[in-house]
Amino acid sequence: MKKLNVLCSIVLVSFLVVTISVPAWGARIKIGVIGPMKYVQGKGHWNGAKMARDEINAKGGIKVGDEMMKIKLVKADSNEILNVTDAANAMERLITRSKVDFVIGGFRTEAVLAMQDIAMENKMIFIGVGAATNELCDRVGRDYDTYKYWFRGSPFNSSLLAKTAFVQVGTVAAILQKNLNIPKIKIAVVGEKAMWVEGMIRACKVFLPKMGMEVVGIWRPSPVATDVTAELSAIQRSGAHIIFTIFSSSVGIPFARQAGELKIPAVLTGINVEAQKDGFWEATQGMGNYLMTMNTYARGVESNELTKAFVDGYVAKYGETPTYTSDTYSAIVNTLAPVIEEAGTLDADKIVAILENRVYKSTSGTIKYMKDAKGNHLHELTWGPGYLTSLAVQWQDGELKAFWPNNWVAAKGAPPITYKGMVPYKIPPWMIEKYKK
Amino acid sequence: MDFILFHLKKLFTILKNEVFVLPSRVVVGLFVLFLILFPVIFKDPYWMRILILTSIFAIFAASWDLLSGFTGQMNFGHALFFGVGAYGAAFLNLHAHIPPWGSIPLGALVAVLAGLIIGIPCLRLRGTYLALTTLAFPIILMGLVFAFPDLTGGELGISGIDRLADARIANYYIAVVVMLGLGTIMWKITDSNIGIIFHAIREDEVAVRAAGINTTRYKLLAFCLSGFFAGIAGGLYAHFMRIAGPSTLEVSMSFGVVIWAIFGGIASIYGPIGGVFVLNILLEFLRFWEDYRMLMFAGVVLLTLLFMPDGLFPWLRDKIEKECPRCKIRNIAWRDTCRVCTAPLD
Amino acid sequence: MNLVIDIVISGLISGSVYALLAIGFSLIFGVARIVNIAHTAFYMVAAYCIYYVSLKMGLHPVWGMLLAIVLVSLLGMLCYQLFINPIREHEGAVLIATIALAIAFQEIVSIKFTGTYLSVPSLIKGYFTILGVKVFYQQLLTFCAAVLVMAVLWVFLMRTRLGLAIRSTAQDREVANLMGINEARVAMFVMGISVGLAAFAGAVVVPLTVLEPHMWMPPLIMMMAVVVLGGLGSLKGSFTGAYIMGFAQALVVFLAPMGAYLKGSVALSIMIVVLLIRPEGLFGVAFEEER
Repeated sequence: MKKLNVLCSIVLVSFLVVTISVPAWGARIKIGVIGPMKYVQGKGHWNGAKMARDEINAKGGIKVGDEMMKIKLVKADSNEILNVTDAANAMERLITRSKVDFVIGGFRTEAVLAMQDIAMENKMIFIGVGAATNELCDRVGRDYDTYKYWFRGSPFNSSLLAKTAFVQVGTVAAILQKNLNIPKIKIAVVGEKAMWVEGMIRACKVFLPKMGMEVVGIWRPSPVATDVTAELSAIQRSGAHIIFTIFSSSVGIPFARQAGELKIPAVLTGINVEAQKDGFWEATQGMGNYLMTMNTYARGVESNELTKAFVDGYVAKYGETPTYTSDTYSAIVNTLAPVIEEAGTLDADKIVAILENRVYKSTSGTIKYMKDAKGNHLHELTWGPGYLTSLAVQWQDGELKAFWPNNWVAAKGAPPITYKGMVPYKIPPWMIEKYKK
Repeated sequence: MDFILFHLKKLFTILKNEVFVLPSRVVVGLFVLFLILFPVIFKDPYWMRILILTSIFAIFAASWDLLSGFTGQMNFGHALFFGVGAYGAAFLNLHAHIPPWGSIPLGALVAVLAGLIIGIPCLRLRGTYLALTTLAFPIILMGLVFAFPDLTGGELGISGIDRLADARIANYYIAVVVMLGLGTIMWKITDSNIGIIFHAIREDEVAVRAAGINTTRYKLLAFCLSGFFAGIAGGLYAHFMRIAGPSTLEVSMSFGVVIWAIFGGIASIYGPIGGVFVLNILLEFLRFWEDYRMLMFAGVVLLTLLFMPDGLFPWLRDKIEKECPRCKIRNIAWRDTCRVCTAPLD
Repeated sequence: MNLVIDIVISGLISGSVYALLAIGFSLIFGVARIVNIAHTAFYMVAAYCIYYVSLKMGLHPVWGMLLAIVLVSLLGMLCYQLFINPIREHEGAVLIATIALAIAFQEIVSIKFTGTYLSVPSLIKGYFTILGVKVFYQQLLTFCAAVLVMAVLWVFLMRTRLGLAIRSTAQDREVANLMGINEARVAMFVMGISVGLAAFAGAVVVPLTVLEPHMWMPPLIMMMAVVVLGGLGSLKGSFTGAYIMGFAQALVVFLAPMGAYLKGSVALSIMIVVLLIRPEGLFGVAFEEER
């Protein structure tokens, strides 16, 4: 027993020595990728980053001043979905132990707020690829000198997400009204109980009636609810034609599955992050057919000339469609690499100065960073035609197809926008059966 | 000059007669010395961060032990005090602009209030009923936190609160000194009359009642003291992380503290503190195998329980110390006779 | 009127789910005084077992169910013998041993299946309409299963010798030992039955839910609340408590849709109120402090 104890301590100490020692690497740019690596979002972070690294290193690397430096990725599992303390520790470890030059990633808002503080303290450029809360960029406007190293990479913020969602649901409502002759569309709002949804619920109460729809009820299930038959029963009784979902968590799956199995006579629209993933079809046993959600990428759809190469390459490499957390690819290839080359250095302040005024193309649109009403930098993504709009996709028989923007007129007199690869929206047959007179 | 000499001599005498005689006390002394000297020797900000968090959780675990280990009121919802302390301190800091050295104790007082609120219904409950009911309280509070997102920030929590101190090293000393101080206070409490009564309540409440002691008052006192210390831990956590979120109220936080405390040794303040340090630091070492980290953690806990079901530190202590059968004073294990009463030790 | 029907049916269904879990938990507590926090973790292992058999091996879910029940029962008995029996006397240690077991299962499942959300096909697909409310066949199956399990368990406990042994061990362990009942072996069997019930609950309920490594936590809390509400050690109490909680949750969802996420908190508050009035739960036995 005693010998075993001694042996164990020797083994532990040697592991400690191994883990503490930082290997010296030579001329490499170290980019830390932080995310919940055991979950799909983190895998997206890592896969996107890997793809970017392989592509850039194959070309010889990034030119920094006079030398060509290759990229080295450092993976950090933040475990943020379960434990915010772990996430903060992981960020600190990434910066102080692994001594990275840049950090990209992040997903859960509460964790990203804590991680952002740590990165800013260390004057480390942190590109957020996953958290949507406005607060992350509002901080830049309030305290520029501390927070200027933060840039939002993806998605655009919660208020803009709401705006887009309304435009998309309006499109679906118009299609239903036209084809099924429904005089006034009744809409049920189902949002998971989460902060980013609060603002949207308030906006729903104001904007949906203005768009000519009647809000018949607002349901707030838990983000990790697994049985929503009670809510679905109540929604059916309310006579809603459209169910506007605001889900980012696991509740998106049972909701879609049970609504499909019960053949609730209402179409599912809105935001359902789980439905953006390829695994959704299997997870709902195929019952998620005809569900519509906002998304960033879809196979065969081109938002601009950079999209196809990215989506096709990602599918070829990993066998699944990229989601918005895979925008780590764009963060490296389109955001960091060109700016590093222009600056000629890895110095954070110089890069920030160039990046914040840059207008450039990413794989999903054009990025221009917003300023607030007083003219302060927010490092927030600009929304709108010509910039970033996202897509509206619908599950059609096992495939995720995009149907918006398709002849979308953003404002009066503006030219209609259509991306390549659009297909028409399909109305579920049980809806047609019920409503077509 | 004489004054200093006198006190130095006194310190030396105390050390020789009280501390160096027992290996366990020497270990405690070395541990305290190590913690105090750590930043001077190592200067690694990441490890300082880990030790700060470990110290905060150590206060948390010791406070649980004060309640559940000593009085036997198994509290499965200890995260309630932690969360209330964290949110309380964050609130006061953000809205009333009270600096950390004020908001943390005041936040802890709010946690004491929470302790009373849950202590009173729990007075009539016994054993497992008490344990499972206390589990419910932090969950209900979490529901309330989500129900009033404008007030509490929902799942984002309250962010943008002040730091404890600007330099990492200052943070470290604050955390460690507070931990040692509160640990000593808790230890003193358990060593006093109140501590004896707590112990007695756990062993046989009816007998204590029969002896004429108002157990209700003492049980409530235990809840309040425990709540106060846990609230301080919560406030420190909020100010260190600069965010107070619903993750402080999670069930995993409640379960975690139970694991640390029982692993380290229940009904002894040094047990949970040691348990937290051992387990948290072990968890850090296990990072070399990221995927299997938690599994190995669970494995370590299970295996340790098989061999040392009373906890790690009581087991260790029994290996190096013996109790004198006559005067009950502790002696080093390899002595033949007691150092105080010279009775033979067998 | 429709609302009332909705609430009743929804309450019956979620109550049945809790009942299936609570009965097993109550059984092991009554007999061996073990708070088995890993109870729902066994339920999770059974669920993943069914997933593996039906999706990876392509067999009909029924085989998955049977295999899951057998495997998980054996696993439960093994864990009991290895980890819990040696430390039976130390209540605190048993408690965290079960927590550690639950964490271990969670991690093993997470490593093998990752954190992606998975699902299992229903045993009987489709739904039917009763009094204007749509109900899944699978949910009806859950309800029938709960009632069936209760009935079978009742018969087993009341009419068989092993049932008698179990009941007497639950009443007074030491005296049962004196009467010649091998108390340790009875405890092991009850562990197997209890875990088997958890596996059965998993088999029946899992098509209605999403599989992920942390799925054992939410049902654990509700299940413990149900057992406490009904009274620890009382099967009748667990059964009743389960349906009360089910109805409470249904009331919240239907009467306050904006507060649907609060259904857990409301149910727990009801439990606390009941305990204030009756500290042993509804049907619980106020047992003597064991010395």
